[in-house]
Amino acid sequence: MTFDVVYGLSPLLVVALGALLLMLAEAFGKPNPQGLAPTGEVSDAGAGRAGELGMGAAVVLFVGAALSLGVWLAGPDNLVGLELTRPYLIWDRFTVFVCFTLCLGGGLSCLLAGGYLTEHEIDRAEFFPLVLFSTVGAMALAAAGELLTLFVALETMSLGVYALVGLRRTPRSSEAALKYFLLGSFAAALMLFGAALLYGATGRTDLAGIGQAIAAIGQGEGPGAAQVLIALVLVVVGLAFKVSAVPFHMWTPDAYEGAPTPATSYMAVAVKTAAFAVMVRVLLIAFGDERLTSWASGWPPVLATLAVASMTVANLVAGRQSSVKRMLAYSSIAHAGYALVAVVATIRSPAAEGSILFYLLTYTVSTAGAFGALILCGSRGKEAVSYEDLAGIAKRHPAAAMAFSLFLLSLAGVPPTAGFFGKLYVFQAAIDAELYVLTVVGLLNSLVGAYYYLRVIVFMYMREPAPGATLAVPMRSGYVASALVIAAVLVIALGVLPNVTLEWAAIATVGRS
Amino acid sequence: MSPATKAVFELVPYLLAFGVGALIPRRQGTLERVAIGVVAALSLALVRGLWPAAADAATPAVAPPEEWPHLLNVIVFVPILGALFVLFLPRQTPALLRRVTMGVLGLDLLASLMLLRVPMSRGWHFQYVVDWLPSFGIRYHVAIDGVSLWMVLLSTVTTPIAAYVSFGSIKKRTKELCFSILLLHGAMLGAFVSLDLFLFYVFWELMLVPMIILIGVWGGVEKIKAAYKFFLYTMAGSVLMLAAILYLVWTHKSLAGYATFDYLALANVVLPRTAAWLCFGAFALAFVIKVPMFPLHTWLPDAHVQAPTGGSIILAAVLLKLGTYGYIRFCMGLFGGPAWSAAANLAGLAVGGGILYGALVAWRQDDIKRLVAYSSVAHMGFVMLGLFSGTRPGVEGAILQMVNHGISTGALFLLVGVIYDRRHTREVREFGGLAKVMPVYAAVFVLVTMSSIGVPGTNGFVGEFMIIMGTFVSLPLGSHGGLQAVLAAFGVILAAVYMLAVVQKMFFGPLTNPKNAQLSDLNVRETIALAPLVALIFIIGLFPSLFLERTRDSVQVVLERYTEGRKSFQEMDPSSTVARLLPRRGGALETGYPEPPGQVDAKPPDPSTPEAEAALDPQQGQP
Repeated sequence: MTFDVVYGLSPLLVVALGALLLMLAEAFGKPNPQGLAPTGEVSDAGAGRAGELGMGAAVVLFVGAALSLGVWLAGPDNLVGLELTRPYLIWDRFTVFVCFTLCLGGGLSCLLAGGYLTEHEIDRAEFFPLVLFSTVGAMALAAAGELLTLFVALETMSLGVYALVGLRRTPRSSEAALKYFLLGSFAAALMLFGAALLYGATGRTDLAGIGQAIAAIGQGEGPGAAQVLIALVLVVVGLAFKVSAVPFHMWTPDAYEGAPTPATSYMAVAVKTAAFAVMVRVLLIAFGDERLTSWASGWPPVLATLAVASMTVANLVAGRQSSVKRMLAYSSIAHAGYALVAVVATIRSPAAEGSILFYLLTYTVSTAGAFGALILCGSRGKEAVSYEDLAGIAKRHPAAAMAFSLFLLSLAGVPPTAGFFGKLYVFQAAIDAELYVLTVVGLLNSLVGAYYYLRVIVFMYMREPAPGATLAVPMRSGYVASALVIAAVLVIALGVLPNVTLEWAAIATVGRS
Repeated sequence: MSPATKAVFELVPYLLAFGVGALIPRRQGTLERVAIGVVAALSLALVRGLWPAAADAATPAVAPPEEWPHLLNVIVFVPILGALFVLFLPRQTPALLRRVTMGVLGLDLLASLMLLRVPMSRGWHFQYVVDWLPSFGIRYHVAIDGVSLWMVLLSTVTTPIAAYVSFGSIKKRTKELCFSILLLHGAMLGAFVSLDLFLFYVFWELMLVPMIILIGVWGGVEKIKAAYKFFLYTMAGSVLMLAAILYLVWTHKSLAGYATFDYLALANVVLPRTAAWLCFGAFALAFVIKVPMFPLHTWLPDAHVQAPTGGSIILAAVLLKLGTYGYIRFCMGLFGGPAWSAAANLAGLAVGGGILYGALVAWRQDDIKRLVAYSSVAHMGFVMLGLFSGTRPGVEGAILQMVNHGISTGALFLLVGVIYDRRHTREVREFGGLAKVMPVYAAVFVLVTMSSIGVPGTNGFVGEFMIIMGTFVSLPLGSHGGLQAVLAAFGVILAAVYMLAVVQKMFFGPLTNPKNAQLSDLNVRETIALAPLVALIFIIGLFPSLFLERTRDSVQVVLERYTEGRKSFQEMDPSSTVARLLPRRGGALETGYPEPPGQVDAKPPDPSTPEAEAALDPQQGQP
């Protein structure tokens, strides 16, 4: 029994333990005299040790990913002891798949940070414990089967990220952090309000119980039905904030741009993945009632509108950006739109849940890779952020440009990369669910998206830097390079031989009734 | 006679050709001599391959040589692996990179010549099927028939020429150039041989990036705009095609119970009217953009003018053929009904917008390359007209004309590149009287022009004649067929007008511009590149049956599918919204048909037992 629980929850436990250890190491370790800031100021003991701590954090997260794989192979259903954690944590195949994705995304971000923080002399090694704690929250969020757990997990995840955004202490970074914090708290408050209403209407806090109670309320005209609807709206809005769907996306570009790039990468991949996981679970388990999943009287048209708005607005705005980082921020909003298409498709297609998971996995490796390539293209004092910075870089640094192109092509969904299969799976699920209009809108949007991804490639390969402009000098960092290699291998492997992963994603369902 | 001696005897003609090629030209270095010799030997191999083997004629009982199933894999993946290999070669050794690229392309050409050893009877040849993503029903399924055979050969012949020409004029960033050419080559070949729609789509999209790099990195002044335009046009067509593919697959799955992307299986799906029209539209849009047909042709002149010579040759000779090939294979094969009903209108567009308008616009161009690009629009109009006619001579002529256009337009772009390398301008008025300073160049240009406008004895005549003949008797075009044939014939005259006008302005008359007085004639590299094309112009022009014989049976199959699709489409109740699945035809045409999962090697289970139904239908077992 105990073994089952410990083994089953091992990804979560290992990351939590690792976070504690890293925190101690960061607090009591010896500062590295070589890596101090030029002023000699010692802000904390972990100063100058970003590289080592980053490596440690990445190892912890990759171990977490490996353990997720182990749990998957053992089969969470076979670990009967895991029943103990229900309904607070539902540790099924869906959760384990998401945990793997989260650990992978977090690990890649930590590797990137190991190079980035050192290069840009940001002596804030608390980055790594924060990422780990936040990942713990994200994993718990993906597993949450009960409203209070859900809220605690959501806050655990978010608090870490708020701090990550403000890590730099530049005005820009602080502004971004404040914006994100305010809007994020607002969204959390909305969700909490929705949860309270749900509890009032149904008397339950576990999702499955809420689902049954809502089914029992049924078609009623009583106060319960209206309360459930209001709760649904509040919860959907709160979740839409977290996945940054249009029109709840206003914080995203600023927060993504202001944050240090590895933190951006972490936000883009892990936070979004966890938010989608919890969205699927809440919508399908708590609001999985026949009436609420119908096109006429439930959440599907709302989410479909959010999906169309996210894809269209984000893609159009992304094309107008002059900063690559900001473009990638908008692109992450657009990708949330594609994933929302799959969420809508869950109402009629059993394959849709798997398509969301697979999509999030491909999105994680491509986005982390793209941010990593952007990090690689800049060095101390010359961070590459705009298109102009990247002009002609392919001639000077072909490997960096090639890697960047690979991830962009994957984001654009050009075969044979991971991103293409992710999109294909999502749109196939949408066709299965007979959502033809959504599919066509999504595909046309991926055409618009391809334009601005291509623009980066055009700048890298076909333009020359303006005369007199400062040339971006790529950094040399084993950490960033290894993160890129891992991501690139995954992008190609998931693009050419995705079969096993596809089959696994297909059986990872939330087990709706 | 032992096999070894026989093999030596077989080699003698090639060695002779090599010797002759290597010895005749004077004042050349050893390397160039060897290169000329190799080209001569390869050309001979090509010509000999085309002819029905004399030995077989003497002993007709000899069974056709066995088909090596991996041959297509070799042809497709040698360039792709070569591209990856090039990535690991040092950037500082351009000569090595060029030689590796030419070596890989030459190897590919030799491998593709092996395809000619098998007579192209009905059905698929060199078929190779293996599961790729069984959970999605996606397989790696490649095969050729008499239609794709020529497309494969066209690309394996023209890409080395384009690469060779590029290496002459492009000296910077050789590594990227080699990588792009090889990847593009592999992707094009893959698209021509795929019989799985997913595989086809992967290769189709894979072509985009290297082509954009070819245009955008080594192109002219407006290269970036041209690259964007090319990318967006092509992508716009292909995303809708993806939607249609997914819809077809889903329909097949709901009818037959298992998912498959296989062409053979999807060809049996009869969609209800609206869906059929929409899916046909999505496929046709993708192909028509690629062809390109009026009014979606506007990317082509930009792409051609901005692309480097090598890129233009590949674009004109092979890439545009993917549109027409796709139309034959997928639009006519999968959606016979809508294709038949739309044929008359589309043919009008091909004649009016392509042949006539294209020719008139070409006439008004001052830039020679732009002129050739618009002439391309006109020629592709002929090809599409032949396809729309839906008659045997029309379709055979269209396939032949696809090859012809690849050869003659490829050669024209090459010739334009030659003069551009010397003068860095392509304005017609800059030239005049060039025949006096560049006699060989002028002669070759005139010859290729003759081929392009379809003078009898050259390849262009055969193709255009067959297309016009096919249009005249065409059934789907109905009463308009005659008019369209006449207008198309008028288009041939227009072609003569604009091509001969430019020839007259450039090569004859007084040598007015003093800058042209010192121009040198064709050099060795250019001659080597042009020689096979010129040879092919005459071979096809004088012996078209070599080509037509190999396409005949396959065209028959294409037309059978086409009429069958039309029949089942018209039999369907117009108000019906239910798709149907045709019974399997069986036979050579459906070898490699995707079996439902679980009964690949077992005999078909008895459908009356419940287990068998569950085995047939695992997807629907889930709630």
